[in-house]
Amino acid sequence: MDIIQTGQNRLLALLAKLSIALAAALLWQPLLAADWQSESENSQLNFAASFQNLPIDGRFNQFSVKYTTDQAALPVNLQVMVSVASADMGNMEFNDEIQALDWFNVADHSTAIFTSQQFEIVSQNKADADYIAHGKLQLKGIEQAVAVPFSWRQINHNQVAMNGELRLNRSDFGIGQGEWATGEQIGLAVRVWFNVRMLSSND
Amino acid sequence: MSLKNTTEQWGWLSKLFHWTTALVIFIQIPLGFYADSLKLSPFKLDIFVWHKSLGMLVLLLVIVRLLWRIKNTIPAAIPGTALEQLLAKLAQGAMYILMLALPLSGWLVSSAANFPVKLFWLIPLPAISGPDEALKSLASEVHEICVFVLIIILVTHIGAALWHHLRLRDNALKRMWF
Repeated sequence: MDIIQTGQNRLLALLAKLSIALAAALLWQPLLAADWQSESENSQLNFAASFQNLPIDGRFNQFSVKYTTDQAALPVNLQVMVSVASADMGNMEFNDEIQALDWFNVADHSTAIFTSQQFEIVSQNKADADYIAHGKLQLKGIEQAVAVPFSWRQINHNQVAMNGELRLNRSDFGIGQGEWATGEQIGLAVRVWFNVRMLSSND
Repeated sequence: MSLKNTTEQWGWLSKLFHWTTALVIFIQIPLGFYADSLKLSPFKLDIFVWHKSLGMLVLLLVIVRLLWRIKNTIPAAIPGTALEQLLAKLAQGAMYILMLALPLSGWLVSSAANFPVKLFWLIPLPAISGPDEALKSLASEVHEICVFVLIIILVTHIGAALWHHLRLRDNALKRMWF
């Protein structure tokens, strides 16, 4: 009897320990590697071209961001896919024009991709951090090294606001060719900024 | 020649307003049609910067001119039938309305098209609307109708001025000349 009783007690104790460990693991998300995915309704990817040094704002209506963090909650992989054809400059004439060969050449290059596996930590405070993603941007069939600074702000355990801003030179990607190439009217520098809501797919 | 208008003569400031607006409008109308006909290119954008700059100049001139007109004597009507005088008044009123409506509708087209502009490559023109495709089409339509109505009235206005000067030999044109 005694032996059986002790055995049962040990089993119970083990089960209790396991439950605590499981609960802790579930509550303490950063300990787990996580995959994150952008939520399109709450995400914007904007750009501003310029005319006479005045900004013309536009946005990409279709894009997705995938992001992976390791067990220490540090980024290990970032992939951004942008449908170039979804570029919207608030004017049908522009929207038609920028699809053309001289600009985005959407017929041949409908998607732009940014990938990074190399992350520089600028600052970090618990789950929130500022990073610079060093990666490659493939746009209009041209690949260039691009550094994308972004902030990572936890909203709750499975939602994060990912914001950032960078500047690109359109001529690096052959965007705006022929008579547009000089940048005299339509500037060469293009500001890009994003406010992305990331959801953890581990729940 | 006096600065202010008298009951017989337009003053030199009124004359200056009249002839500078006339000159700018004579450049503006063909320039607008030309700009519209061009295929999108840096040159087209330049032509549009000119068109928008001159258009805003007209708007400014007309506002100042109207203020000056309100504050001033208006020379007596040229003798004619009651109908002629009424038509002359209507044409003048319509021209003032169109000189306001054309630049304003053009400004709206530019704003709703999400197209910024620096007037004369110097002064950024603020947008009076956000990007709006439907509003842009509507404003374009208004702009186009206004310019056709203005052309008809201008032909009548010039024709009438020449008729008075060459046929009736009265001082209708002379009193607006220097």
